[in-house]
Amino acid sequence: MHSIFSGFNTTDTATWPWLDYFAGLPLVIQIAAVSIVVSVCFILFIQFRILQTRIRGYRLQKRLDRINPIIDAVISEQVILRNDLMADGASVDNIPLDLSGFEHPVFRRSANRQLLLERLISYRKSFGGKTGALLRRIYLELGLEKMSFSKMKSFRWNNKVKGIRELTDMDIIISDVNILPLTNSKRHELRSEARNAYIKLSKNEPFKFFDISTEPLLMWDQIELFKTITTTENIAVPNFARWVTYSNNKSIISFCLKLIVYYNQTDAAPAVVRLLDNKDHVLRAEAINCLGKLKYEEVEQQLIHIYSNQPLRCQIEILKAVGRFETGKSTAFLKQEFLYSTDFDIRKNAALSLVKSTHDPALITELIEASSEENQLIIKHSMNPLIKY
Amino acid sequence: MKNILVIDDDPIIQNVLEKVLVKEGFHVEVAGNGKEGLSKLDLMKYDLVITDLMMPYANGFEIISKLKQHSNTSNAAVIVVSSITHEASVMDSFKLGVDEYIRKPIMVGELILRVNKLLSNRSSNA
Repeated sequence: MHSIFSGFNTTDTATWPWLDYFAGLPLVIQIAAVSIVVSVCFILFIQFRILQTRIRGYRLQKRLDRINPIIDAVISEQVILRNDLMADGASVDNIPLDLSGFEHPVFRRSANRQLLLERLISYRKSFGGKTGALLRRIYLELGLEKMSFSKMKSFRWNNKVKGIRELTDMDIIISDVNILPLTNSKRHELRSEARNAYIKLSKNEPFKFFDISTEPLLMWDQIELFKTITTTENIAVPNFARWVTYSNNKSIISFCLKLIVYYNQTDAAPAVVRLLDNKDHVLRAEAINCLGKLKYEEVEQQLIHIYSNQPLRCQIEILKAVGRFETGKSTAFLKQEFLYSTDFDIRKNAALSLVKSTHDPALITELIEASSEENQLIIKHSMNPLIKY
Repeated sequence: MKNILVIDDDPIIQNVLEKVLVKEGFHVEVAGNGKEGLSKLDLMKYDLVITDLMMPYANGFEIISKLKQHSNTSNAAVIVVSSITHEASVMDSFKLGVDEYIRKPIMVGELILRVNKLLSNRSSNA
């Protein structure tokens, strides 16, 4: 059988004289030589990548310099400088638009149409009202939403994110069939973007994705969602007790507790009270925090009753909640925790709640006199009005 | 002709505000950052300054406090155009002597009305 290696003798070093020379070198030199070769190759590769990125950036800038003035001229003429737009009673939908400027041959290339789309989005982010609505109409009349929807159908998650972001920025409604599955995607970035988009774009049930979410809402996602919810105009706010009662996703329940506080949904309090029997102590602590902030006084005695068999985190939340209720009915309990607890955080929170809830200044004076030096400092700290509670 | 200085690092806003205000009959100077904005103060006396808050080199608060000390802008009206919506930032701006605070995204019609109103109030008070 004819071997493909028949013409190549691996033992023939005559054709590789430098290999003989290299093999004869001391081991340290061999290692150093290999390291130098690897380093030089790595540096050359990095330099090549930098050069490639810069050339790409240079070409993009060149294209932008050519295209942006064309886009700006059409937008100025058709949107910014037109007199009929600002007239009383002018409807954005009925204003005649001449988009022939965008029929320029340069926009036949899809890469350039993408630049046009991005420029329109930049304009819309800066200008609202009728100007923003007219920019949205241009986006739709040029059929650019098809590009955004096709990105959403891409297999690559980063393209999907880009598509969702474009549609959200242009306030284009995405059907539930397309967006809802993405709110539960395994890819965190995509999941987060889809959830934000759903809240912004869904007019009737912006929180519907809470029903199907099995993936956790991370703390950063909660901050982003909270910002979206509180800054989106005309959002339909549901009763969040629904998810507190039925959701199996702990992070959704935790987030709903924060929203219950934000929207001051006192009618959700009974559902929150049921969480006090939950096995997860973090969730219990959050429920107690929520009840305290809602000032749901009805639960005060129940909290004091369960206090002794709770972990530290829940105990601290109970002390804070009792202070927030400000009923003055639990002074004896707070006084006992302040005077006899060995834990610093318990004493500090008990003191803060005592100062906040007691209506008897003589009690505070009495406590200061009876306390140890450290406890006196805690009370004085709690009495400082600059200390936020 | 009234002179207006626009300081914003967003080229789209610079471009649009310049076109809109020129169309309204004002003379407009544009600066792309705080440092450039401050250097333009020496050029002429301004009736109105429109500035962003978050910009490179010098932020809006620094600019507003400098405007009040500069002879060319000490009597100028100041409008802040910013996407910062924190109550504290809005309050701080008014404490520094800002006349109007407009949140981004800007409504062009509203901005023009406010500019015209501010400038006509100033000229009737003068």
